[in-house]
Amino acid sequence: MIDIKNLCKDFGNTRVLKNITETIHKGEKVVIIGPSGSGKSTFLRCLNLMETPTSGDIVFEGSNITKASDREINLLRQRMGMVFQHFNLFPHLTIRKNITLAPVKLKLMTQQEADDKAEELLKIVGLPEKADEYPARLSGGQKQRIAIARALAMKPEVMLFDEPTSALDPEMVGEVLELMKKLADDGMTMIVVTHEMGFAREVASRVMFMSDGEILEQNEPGEFFSNPQNKRLKDFLSKVL
Amino acid sequence: MDELIASFRQNFIEQDRWKYLTNGLKTTLIITFFAVLIGFVLGFIVAVIRSTHDKTGKLKIANLICKIYLTVIRGTPMVVQLLITYFVIFGSVNIDKIFVAVMAFGINSGAYVAEIVRSGIMSIDNGQLEAGRSLGLNYRQTMFYIIMPQALKTVLPALANECIVLLKETSVAGYIAVQDLTKGGDIIRSQTYSAFMPLITVAVIYLMMVMILSNLVSRLERRLAKNDRH
Repeated sequence: MIDIKNLCKDFGNTRVLKNITETIHKGEKVVIIGPSGSGKSTFLRCLNLMETPTSGDIVFEGSNITKASDREINLLRQRMGMVFQHFNLFPHLTIRKNITLAPVKLKLMTQQEADDKAEELLKIVGLPEKADEYPARLSGGQKQRIAIARALAMKPEVMLFDEPTSALDPEMVGEVLELMKKLADDGMTMIVVTHEMGFAREVASRVMFMSDGEILEQNEPGEFFSNPQNKRLKDFLSKVL
Repeated sequence: MDELIASFRQNFIEQDRWKYLTNGLKTTLIITFFAVLIGFVLGFIVAVIRSTHDKTGKLKIANLICKIYLTVIRGTPMVVQLLITYFVIFGSVNIDKIFVAVMAFGINSGAYVAEIVRSGIMSIDNGQLEAGRSLGLNYRQTMFYIIMPQALKTVLPALANECIVLLKETSVAGYIAVQDLTKGGDIIRSQTYSAFMPLITVAVIYLMMVMILSNLVSRLERRLAKNDRH
C-alpha cells in the first residue's frame, strides 16, 4: 500500500531520517516506538507530506506522492487520516461541525449526508450526546476520540496516529486505546507512533524500533518484546517495560 | 452664567452657526465609516498575504510590496500622507475632497489593521493549520474556515479600537479644507472670535462618541470572554 524508498529528511544541517526503505501493506497495524528525537514522528508526518522529504520516494497505491502537485497532495490527504498528539480540534466549531466541515467543504457529501455520518461516527466513538457541544467542554480523552471521528469522516484508507495518548491524563488513555483497538479489529490500516507498549503488544501486527533516524529492528510483537536483538532496543525496552 | 448663555447664543444660535457642527459631524462620520471599510479590506488582504508568506514561503513579491506599504505608511505622519494624497496624487484632477480624505485615511488605517489581523493569524496554533490540511482542505480553505474565524475573534477588540483611533485621527482633514467637525468648530471660532465655546463643544462631541464606542468595545470583549469559557 505504501512503499517508502531511501527516505531522507533534514532539518537544517541535522539529518533526522536516514535512508529509510520500508513497505506497509494493506490491513497492517504498524506500531513505531523509540526514544524522543528518534525521528518517528517525522517519519509518520512524511507519509502524508506534513513534512516534505528531503530526498527519496514514497509511493502510495501506485502513485509517487513525493512528486505530486499541491492539488494531488490534497487529494492524497483525503485518503490518509491523521490524529495528532494535541487533538487539534477546531475550537470555534461544534463537534458536529468539526466532523462534517471537511467532507462538506470538499464536496464529498451534502451537509445532510455528513450529519448522518457524524451521528454514526459519534456512536462508534461513544459520544453521541456531544454533537452540539464545543470542544472546550470535553475532556482530553473525549477530544481525542472526536479527533479520530473527524479523521474517519473522510473515509480514509489508512490512519496515521502521532502519539495520540501522550497528552492525555493517565485515566483517559484507556478509552482512546480502546477505540483504536476497535478500529484495528475492523481492518483499518494503521500506523501508530506511541509509547504505549501494551497497545503495541496487543494490537500491532508489526512493531518497529526507531533510533537516530533509522529503523533498527522490527518484528511481530511477540518476538519483538520477548527476544529483542539490537542492543539499543534492549536498552530501550529495559527502561520502558 | 449669563455670559455663558450669551456666548452659546453667539456661537451656535446666531446665523445658524450650529450647522457648522452638525454638518461637520456628518462629514467626520462619513469619512470615518468609509475609511474603516477601506482600511479593513486593505488590511485583511495585506495580513493574509503576509502571513501566507510567513507560513509557506510563497508570495514573495506580494509580501515585499506589502512590507514597503506598511513601512511607508507607518513611518510617515498622517497629515503628510493626507497632503500628498490631495496635492500630489490627486493634484491634477478636480475631485471631491471628502473622497480624497476617505482614501488617505483608509490607506493609512489599512496598514494598522493589517498588523493587527496578522498578529491574530499568527497567534493561532499551527496545529490548527495542520489539522485542516491533514483532512485534505487546501491552504485557502483552511485559512478561511478554520484560521480566520479564530483569529478574528482574538483581534476584534483591537480592531474596534482602531476604529476609535481613526475617528479621532480624521480631525486633521481640515488640512485639505474638508469641513469636518474640528474644522466646523474652528470656523465658528474665526467668525465669533470666541475660542472657548466652539472648541470645547467639539472636544465634548468627540469625547462622547469615543466613550460610546469604547463602551461597545468593552461589552464586546466581555461577551467574547464569556463564549470562551463555555
